[in-house]
Amino acid sequence: MTTINESAFDVEIRKAVLRSKLKERHRVETSFPRKRKEEPALAELRERQPAFRGLEAGHRACQGCGEALAARLVAEAAGPDVILTNATGCLEIFTSPWPQSAWRVPWIHSLFENSAAIAAGIEAAMKHQGKATKVIAQGGDGGTFDIGFQALSGMLERMHNVLYVCYDNEAYMNTGIQRSGSTPHAASTTTSPAGQERMGKRHLKKDLLSIIASHHIPYAASASVAYPRDLRRKVRRAMEVDGPTFLQVHCPCPLGWGHEGAVTIEVARLAVQTGLFPVVEFERGEVAGVMPLRNPKSVTEYLKRQNRFRHLFSNDPRAREEREHLQALADRNIEKFNLRGEGMDPLDSEGADTVRRGGLVA
Amino acid sequence: MLVLTRGSYALPGTSIDFKTGTWRTSRPLHKHWAAPCHSACPAGEDPQAYIANVQENHHREAWESIVHINPIPSITGRICPHPCEHACNRGRFDQPIAIHSIERFLGDEARQRGWEYPIDLGRGAGATVAVIGAGPAGLSAAYHLRRRGYQVTLLDALPEAGGLMRSAIPINRLPRDILDADIARILALGIEFRGRTRLGVDVHLDELRSDYRALFLAPGTSKAKAWSVDGAVPTDHRTALELLQEWVAVGSLPAPQSVIVHGGGNTAVDLCRAMRRAGVKEVHLVTASGLPGPDTEPDDIINIVPRELEQAIEEGITLHPHRTIQRLLFRGSRVVGVEMVTLRKLPTKSGQTGRIAFEGTETLLHADMVIPAIGESVDPTGLGTLLGGGREYLWPGNPFGRLEHTPGLFVGGDARGDRGTVSAAVGDGRLAAAAIDSYIRQSDDPEVMSRAVITFDHINSSYFEPAQRVEEPTLSVAERTDTAEIDRPLSSAAITHEANRCFSCGSCLACDNCWTFCPDNAVVKTVALAKDGSHYVFDYEYCKGCGICAAECPCGYIVMEAEL
Repeated sequence: MTTINESAFDVEIRKAVLRSKLKERHRVETSFPRKRKEEPALAELRERQPAFRGLEAGHRACQGCGEALAARLVAEAAGPDVILTNATGCLEIFTSPWPQSAWRVPWIHSLFENSAAIAAGIEAAMKHQGKATKVIAQGGDGGTFDIGFQALSGMLERMHNVLYVCYDNEAYMNTGIQRSGSTPHAASTTTSPAGQERMGKRHLKKDLLSIIASHHIPYAASASVAYPRDLRRKVRRAMEVDGPTFLQVHCPCPLGWGHEGAVTIEVARLAVQTGLFPVVEFERGEVAGVMPLRNPKSVTEYLKRQNRFRHLFSNDPRAREEREHLQALADRNIEKFNLRGEGMDPLDSEGADTVRRGGLVA
Repeated sequence: MLVLTRGSYALPGTSIDFKTGTWRTSRPLHKHWAAPCHSACPAGEDPQAYIANVQENHHREAWESIVHINPIPSITGRICPHPCEHACNRGRFDQPIAIHSIERFLGDEARQRGWEYPIDLGRGAGATVAVIGAGPAGLSAAYHLRRRGYQVTLLDALPEAGGLMRSAIPINRLPRDILDADIARILALGIEFRGRTRLGVDVHLDELRSDYRALFLAPGTSKAKAWSVDGAVPTDHRTALELLQEWVAVGSLPAPQSVIVHGGGNTAVDLCRAMRRAGVKEVHLVTASGLPGPDTEPDDIINIVPRELEQAIEEGITLHPHRTIQRLLFRGSRVVGVEMVTLRKLPTKSGQTGRIAFEGTETLLHADMVIPAIGESVDPTGLGTLLGGGREYLWPGNPFGRLEHTPGLFVGGDARGDRGTVSAAVGDGRLAAAAIDSYIRQSDDPEVMSRAVITFDHINSSYFEPAQRVEEPTLSVAERTDTAEIDRPLSSAAITHEANRCFSCGSCLACDNCWTFCPDNAVVKTVALAKDGSHYVFDYEYCKGCGICAAECPCGYIVMEAEL
């Protein structure tokens, strides 16, 4: 209602006051406890996850794939401001069946051997453009231990600001389980079959982490999918470092290792707890930290869960010998990295995965 | 939707169009099991649920969750033999959760902070119900009826409410100021209490039946069972309950040089300890049950609060487990001892278990006094034809205490004959109140919980750390008196520590494991509660059914169900 003496200016003031009152009323109303809303549709929930999800559903990994899980955890801890490169391998294949992609971050694949070289180029381009976006190069153990090794070594030597993540599932799984430099001793693969001649792979698993650390890079570490809290911490640590960093993530392959998809985490955990896969950190070539083992378990616990070691439980006298050999290798790791814990530690092999109400302490 | 880009690149996250859920042969489901503590609780409490509240420091919500079931947690926390702790899955890992300490703490907090019972008196037609006997069963029934809006009259032969909790439980186990305060808080909800009103003397059953819509009978057991050994009875024959009640009321006890108490319940142990403190040099407890230990069957363990047994041994009581008294020894007319024989609870030919005595195991035990503590039966005064034909108890034959041939009459507590703890009595009161409500509203019996009980093999203990169980500090043997409470309270910090040890058996811990470990991003988290009360939803369009979430759920809350 406009009174006679009211100027246009007064009207504006009155409207503003009314608006502010409306706003106030709005505020008062919303401060009441609201009724619980209907559960939103799944697609909507998926959009509103409380943490960044870098690897979307719908990828073609097998049931219980440890590598898919490891890549998801790495992308989540690193993203969203990140560019990924990928060597040829399972991860590349199952996440990018054109014209679809499971990645929600920029991602590029070119060849098997050049993931580190491409990452180095992208990093140089970012630097030139004055952008701070971090680059992560990814590869499986084949693309890292064997085929992409010289590109990786060069990238490290040139001190590019790149994190290289190796998803170590200990064989060429994508092409049908052929042995790689990472395949552990005595594991049976299609190119190191157990039989009359040999008890699985004749050679030892390459100690890649020590080789990488010898490049005198700021940070190189191993981690396992069984300890996501530790893995996330290491990814974040590596992302903060200005310079080349390296992460070797141990991730079981149910198909290649011969176990049910449901026990992927259990198998990965046993690899750590037996000492066969030491979880360690190197800084400038020196051991800077280890995950202590509270009660090192017998390697038999780990081996008997996987068909790739099934021949080690036959009546063949060599089976016993190879089991003892693997136990000796685990003991050697424990000794070399001083893994044996001193009593209970909240961050040792038993404590690092402790849960509590309300989620992991990330 | 298929998008073909000019540069032959794929748009981010477009794999979402590919529904990998079709690969699945089995799917994960949330399964809300009953925790073993819940299924073991005679009162019907769900300790897992309230411990979850305590973990979040929501003490009041925790207490409200208890008093939804049991109005007297600070009493049961003190005196219940806590079968919940015996059932606790954590006992298979290190030691069970000290559930009784948490329960007691919450009850004490409520009293000290004056938290009001969460009761809505708006509901209910205001019909009248009489409750006979103001022991734990009667108080529980009155409370639960009042919660439903009924007008409740609580009658008791004694001047004050409390029943055996007042007359027979030693003051150093249950301080009377706590009992008084809790009972006063319950009666203050609007329950009419009429003391000094004895059934069959001051009021009569028929009269009550016509005055009230329904009756709940919880008279307890007060009539000593006839006891003799082959027809022989000591000249100074007194039952343990009589002596204990006398001691609680006036503080005096006979003090012979040595005494033998025969029985295996709290009455027997309480009397032993009181007599020992009164100066009896040798106190022997002869019981047919066994002591807790790896070789004893659970149902053969002496039915005593475990810490009471430890304290009794500390105080110098001599125990004779798996024994019974076969003969009394007399010198003239005076009892001078007993002949004991070893026996075991074993399956018999008829298929039931029976106690078998072994020939050749007889031993003599000398003492100046022999006291039976073998239980009591219902006093038939005023119960008319409800008791009779040689029956000692008002056995109703259903969990609700409904007496089938007398509509509107319900029974609970020790008078049922198959009870024996305060917690069981509280449970009876609650179930009977629900059944009375159904009876008055002429609806069907209330539903009884039927969730499956989760066992330890469903718990993934990798995700839990060993941690020492907290124990209540106790007075040393020298410091103990007849009145000062022996078990001292625990701090809030100790209670939080203890609550955090809980495995959360069969209920979501909200630990994020399923969300973290799904390789296929098929577990979606909701900040608000999902429909089933957890924070996680399975997206079956993408779930490939690998089963990692079920294997790595610490609490057994996820199970795999075959689909093909």
